[in-house]
This record gives sequence, structure tokens and C-alpha cells, in this order.
Amino acid sequence: MRLTLQWSQVNAVRAGAVTRLVGQDLEVNLEELQALGEADPRLQRVRLDLAHPGESCRIGRVFDVMAPRAKLDGGEDFPGVLGALARAGSGRTVALANVAVVVTDQQLQSTGTLALIDMAGPGAALTEFARTHNVVLSAWPGAGTGRSEYLAAIRLAGLKAAVYLARAADDRPADRVEVLDLPAPTRVPPAAQHLPRVAYVFQIHSHQRPTGVDEGILYGDPIRRMLPTLVHPNEVLDGAVMRGFMGRNATTYAIQNHPIIRALYAQHGQTLWFVGVVLTVAQATEPERVRSASMAAGLVAEVLGADGAVFTKIGGGAPHVDMAQAAAQCEALGVKTTLIVEDMSTDGSSEGMLLFNFPGLDALVNVGSSQEVLTLPAVARVLGADDLAPTIQGEVSTSYTGLCGAIEQTGASRLVALIQ
Amino acid sequence: MQTLRVVCYLNQFFGQLGGEEKAGVGPDVVPGAVGAARAVQQALGDAGTVVATVRCGDNYVAERDATAIAELVSLVTAQRPDLLVAGPAFQAGRYGVACGALCAAVQTQLGVPAVSGMHEENPGVDLYRRQVYIAQTGGDTARMLDEVRRIVGLGLKLARKEPIGSPAAEGYFARGLTHNVLTESNAAQRATAMLLAKLAGAPVTSEVPLPTFAPVPAPARVQDMRRATIALVTDGGLVPRGNPDGIEALAATRYGAYEIAGLTQLDPTQYDNVHRGYDTTYVKQDPHRLVPVDVARELEQAGAVGKLHEVVYSTTGVATTLAHSQRMGREIAAKLKAAGVNGVILTST
Amino acid sequence: MTPVAVMVGANRIVPAAGIIHPMGNAELAPAEEKALRRRIVERALQALQADVAQPTVFKAP
Repeated sequence: MRLTLQWSQVNAVRAGAVTRLVGQDLEVNLEELQALGEADPRLQRVRLDLAHPGESCRIGRVFDVMAPRAKLDGGEDFPGVLGALARAGSGRTVALANVAVVVTDQQLQSTGTLALIDMAGPGAALTEFARTHNVVLSAWPGAGTGRSEYLAAIRLAGLKAAVYLARAADDRPADRVEVLDLPAPTRVPPAAQHLPRVAYVFQIHSHQRPTGVDEGILYGDPIRRMLPTLVHPNEVLDGAVMRGFMGRNATTYAIQNHPIIRALYAQHGQTLWFVGVVLTVAQATEPERVRSASMAAGLVAEVLGADGAVFTKIGGGAPHVDMAQAAAQCEALGVKTTLIVEDMSTDGSSEGMLLFNFPGLDALVNVGSSQEVLTLPAVARVLGADDLAPTIQGEVSTSYTGLCGAIEQTGASRLVALIQ
Repeated sequence: MQTLRVVCYLNQFFGQLGGEEKAGVGPDVVPGAVGAARAVQQALGDAGTVVATVRCGDNYVAERDATAIAELVSLVTAQRPDLLVAGPAFQAGRYGVACGALCAAVQTQLGVPAVSGMHEENPGVDLYRRQVYIAQTGGDTARMLDEVRRIVGLGLKLARKEPIGSPAAEGYFARGLTHNVLTESNAAQRATAMLLAKLAGAPVTSEVPLPTFAPVPAPARVQDMRRATIALVTDGGLVPRGNPDGIEALAATRYGAYEIAGLTQLDPTQYDNVHRGYDTTYVKQDPHRLVPVDVARELEQAGAVGKLHEVVYSTTGVATTLAHSQRMGREIAAKLKAAGVNGVILTST
Repeated sequence: MTPVAVMVGANRIVPAAGIIHPMGNAELAPAEEKALRRRIVERALQALQADVAQPTVFKAP
């Protein structure tokens, strides 16, 4: 499968009469984009704001972040959710660098559940979203719109905005062309057959909270009874997978730029042969967990024939254990594993860091301690949560998990919990 | 840079009062650096002055515990120090414990930075490493100056509020505390590199230590269930409506004791659930899906179980610290045991 | 979460019916659900009467 990403570099974003790229400046017709969002009867009002890197600005109530991408040549965008069902991962896709769509959830009441993005200051150093020009989308529910409908509607509005913005680069020559070309795992040229075969096991949801009917995660399917399944890495990068509505420390943006997939692609053909991606769901009952672990290990070891595998999870303790069981089964089949975990302790003690101790699971990378608290200074402007400005515009104390992008369980973030 | 006021703490031997025969001697303070504190002054150079040396016999502290520490803290306070250097205690156990206790007390009560040094087998290490920076020393007191240089180096950083590096780099016992730090490469890159190293058979340094839990001796089995009292306990977050005990939804430090005497059922309208780690819809609809009072009562009435204990204990088991979990478990167990309970069914989510 | 129970040293462990309804199952009719609950509780009582020396999982027969 061969995917060509045509990147346009963007260094400034501003409102304009027509949505277009002028050099590396993106001008956005905000009224047009607003109307696009308000066309959904589930929403009664959409507001768009712009937040730029370096501004003293705090975005609150962040629900998800999306990267602007649009398929060329008649391809379907975010198939199964926005576009019609079509296989993602091949053809040409335009992409804007340094721009993100930040979707806020206007139904959140308490500051405790806010996810924040600070565009400047100590919080900004911790997240990639302080370096992107953010188009902040806030929408309010129409009459009679229930909670899960509202979330589906704002997510869709975010995806529409992501495509709309990327289309500004449709007719331009790309600043940078990135080709992601990976043959099926059975087709390894003789010269590369000595390379270790590496798979990625990607846990995309946890069933501690069952998905809603309109909460599409894999090609629009709410994956309620999903057993471990195989996909090509390009499908993940090209809109087949998105974050569910409750994923903690996860954004759709990070999936679209999946750091593990990119890291494996970067080494592919040189130090390893990337053989594929196994998608799993963290199960809520022990028998289902055992079945899922067994099948995932079977796909990794016997179908993909991997020598090694990297694992990530989405969620807290139960997904952590679920991931470990799958990895332990892989180790039992002779596959070497590395897992990305978060520091699970809530009192900062190193003995609380890890919940499990399975044989062979000795290679662990951590994405930091979600519960650790930090203080952010006052800012000049609040977006997405203006009504909460009295509490969040001043100095704010938040845990790391409350900072969007500071901890990404897919491994996109650069925080690590060190033991001292 | 300002010259720091440093106070040293020494035991009877290193303070030159005498050997084991002086271990019972009470606290005193002498101006300037005496005995082993002179090595501290040498290590400080111009950065600080040892304004006083506080001394005490190891047995005096060991026998009087908190009162002795309080006396020593008063002596330290009077000197208005910017830094306390206690020891090094090497392998002397009573001395090491006294150093750790004094450092911890001075930090908490005076807000003054403190540092000590001891050998890894010194019992003071395990007792105080979490609270106090303790430099790792060898066992050879002849290497006093070298060891003291390292302790003082660490102490100066603490006093100047400079960032402290990793345990390996600075030579102190890992405090077992985690702290978030930004690194060069993201977790995905580190994971890929780690996997490649593992595949190549190269050594791998995990970013998380593997936990060890001490085995728990299994209590003897219940001999005669028909005469036994069985209690129901849960960490699934069941609370009476209104959560009168204020059980926390996350990182609980409290548990509740809820009467079920005379009840054959739990009325869902009288209960709620505060747990935030799972979807509590189903256990709110029917609390028996969490605490099986209905079935337990039937088994009691049928004689299969001697007695269903009248109290249900409940807390929330999400993000609960190990320390609080263990404490709550011990407290609940003690109450159950005192009430003559023979066995417990703990429902965990 | 059985593996966590084993790891922390619980000696008598009975796998129940899932995180969100350990002693029940909302998909069953009430009578069947209560029968399921009874089976789990009875298994727990059996576990309390068994001799164990280390973490032991008492699975459904």
C-alpha cells in the first residue's frame, strides 16, 4: 500500500475573505466554516477562534484535536464517519503542517474535567498543540440533542473543519512530499530477509465504557465486540481510526500522525521490517480479555510472523493489564515486546508505578505520571471556556492529564516519569 | 553568593565525646565545627560556615525517640541554619536512624534543607529515604572526607534550590518518588530503540521498575461454614444515597461501614455509586450486582452460612494509593476480626 | 483483573462476571441473573473453605 502525503507548510493563520494559502499564510473564511458547522441540525451555534503559538492564551474544555487532511483524486475523507466507506491508506492526501483543529466540549461544567492547552508559558513547553496554529471550534447543542449525539456532532464538525482547511492546499505544489510505501508482510525482498520483523499492537478503545452507537472508531464502527484485527499502518495514518469520545491522554491528531507507526517506518528496511498493525480493544471481563490476548498474540506471532512488537494502550488500569496479558502471550511465543505505559501511582511512589509483573515484560517506556500536579500562570485570554474565565484565566493548578497533548499514550509526547 | 550557615549533627563518637560508653549522653551544641564536622567545613570551603555542631549519644536518641528529636530540633533552630548536614553515619544503625529522623523533622518543622549520608545497609536508609536526601556512602570511615564532599555537594544544591539530578548521577538513595521531566525524544522513539536493543540481545534499561509484592500468608480455611460469620466488602464504590461519609471518587482515603441488619435486599433508591473507574450504570440499577446481599441472606436463611455480618464495608478502588489501600485493608480487617467474622467476600471491580 | 489479584498476593480469588457488573449480568433475565450471582457467591464460599498455600484462582467448573 502506498500513501503520498503532500505537505504544505503553514506559518501564519488569519481570518480572510476567501479560504486560501497565500505563500505559507493560511487565510480562512471563518463565516463559511461556521456555516458548514451550523448546517448540522444537532448543533445550534458554532463559534470559531484562532489561537497562535506564543500568545498568552488558554484553550479550555478541549474534547479532541484533528490534523487538517483531505484526500485528492476522489478519495473519501475519514471514511465511515465523514466520507463514505472506502479503504484508507493509499493515493494522495494533502496535509497542512503547523495547523490543528481544536474541538471544545461546551457541555462540560466543572473545571475539573477541562483539558487545557496553553499557547505560551510553562504549559506550552509540554504539548505539541502550543506549536500549531489552532482553529478552535466551539459548538452548542441544538434543542433535543442528547449527550452522545452532541459529541458525535462536534466531532463531525471538527473533521469537516479539518478537511475544509486542508482543501486550501489542493491545487498547490507541495512544500514536501512524504511517501509511505509498505508492501504486504509476505513480500519481503531477499536482501531484507535478515531484518527483524516488527509489529505494532495498537489498543484503540477500552470497554470499561462501552461506546455509543454513533461513536465510530474504526472506519466508523463503534467496535463494541471487536476481536483483534489486522490493518495496514497507512490506514491508521489516513483516517481509518479515530479517538473515541472518552479516550484519556489521546487525540485523533496523534493517531493521524501516529508516532509509533512513524518511528517504525523510519527504521523500516534498515534495522527492521515493519510487518503490520494489530488493533485491539481492552476488554471488561476476564474471559474476553484472555480471548483477546490469545488472538492478538496469534496474529503477531503466527500470522505476521513478527520477531518483536511494540504495544500501547488507551485508558487506565484495566487497559494496562489487558495490554500486558497480550504482550505476555507474545513473549511466551518467543516474540520480544516493548510496552508504553504511564506511571500508575497516585502518590508519586515508584512502587505504585506498575500494576503488573509478567515474565518477559522487562522493556517498558513510560509517558509520565498523569496524577502529578503543576501550576500554570495567569493568561491574557481564555478560549472555549470564556464563562469559566474567572477560575481558569488566573493561576491554575492542574494534573498533567489535564493538559491536552502533554501525555499521549500512543507515545507522541516527550514527558517521562523519572524515579528520584 | 551568600555564605550559608550550616549546622552539623554528630553522634557521641564522631563528635569526640567518647565511644560506646558515652552513647547515653544527652544533646549539646558547640560553636563551629568539631570532630567529623571539620570535614564538612573543609568540603564547604567558602560556600558555607559550620556555625555549630549539635551532638547526642545514639542510645539517648534511640530510647527517647520523638522527645529526643524535639530537643535536637530546638538546638538546631536556635542556630538559624540554611542547611543541616547529619552524619555521615556509615553503618552505625542507631546513628543513621537518628540522622534520618532529625533531617526529616528539620525539613518539615523548620523548612530548612537537610542532607545525610550512610551505607546502604543502614536501617536509616529504608526508614527515611523517601523523605530525606541520603547520600550513599561506603563503610570505611577512613574515607570520611571523600564521602563528606559528596554529601556537602548535594546539600549545597538543596540549599540553593538548584535542580537535583538522578540518584545515579548525584549518588543518593533513590527516594522512590516519580517526577515528570521533558526529554529529547518521544516515547514512541524510545520504545522503538528499546525494542531494537532487546531484539539484538543488548541490555535494556526499563523506564519503570518491576514491582515486587511480599507474599501474604494464606489464612487457614473456614472450618464449618454453617457456623461461620461471613462479611461482604467491596472496592466498587457503593455508598448510601448522598454519600454521607464523603468517600472520594478517586484516590480514596476513606471507607464506609454500612448496616444491613434485617435487610434481605439492597434498595437501589437508597444507594449510589461514586466510583469513577468504570461505568456504574448497572450496579446503580441493582446494587446486588456489586454487593450480593440478597443471595448471601438466602444462604444464611438456608443454613449454608452461619451468619451474614451486619456491616458492609465499602470504598472506591480507582487510583487508590498502595499505602492507603493497605491501611484501609488493615483497619477493616481489624474491625471484622473484633466482630468475630470468619471469612470475607470482597467484590472488586 | 484476576492477574492483579494474583500479583498483590490475594490467596483466594474467584473470577466474577465482569468489571461493570461483577455479581450479575444485565443481559440476563432477573431470575437467571440471580442464579448467576448465587453460583459466584457459592464458589466464593467454597474457596473460603479450601486449603490454599498461595494465590489460587477458583474458576467455574
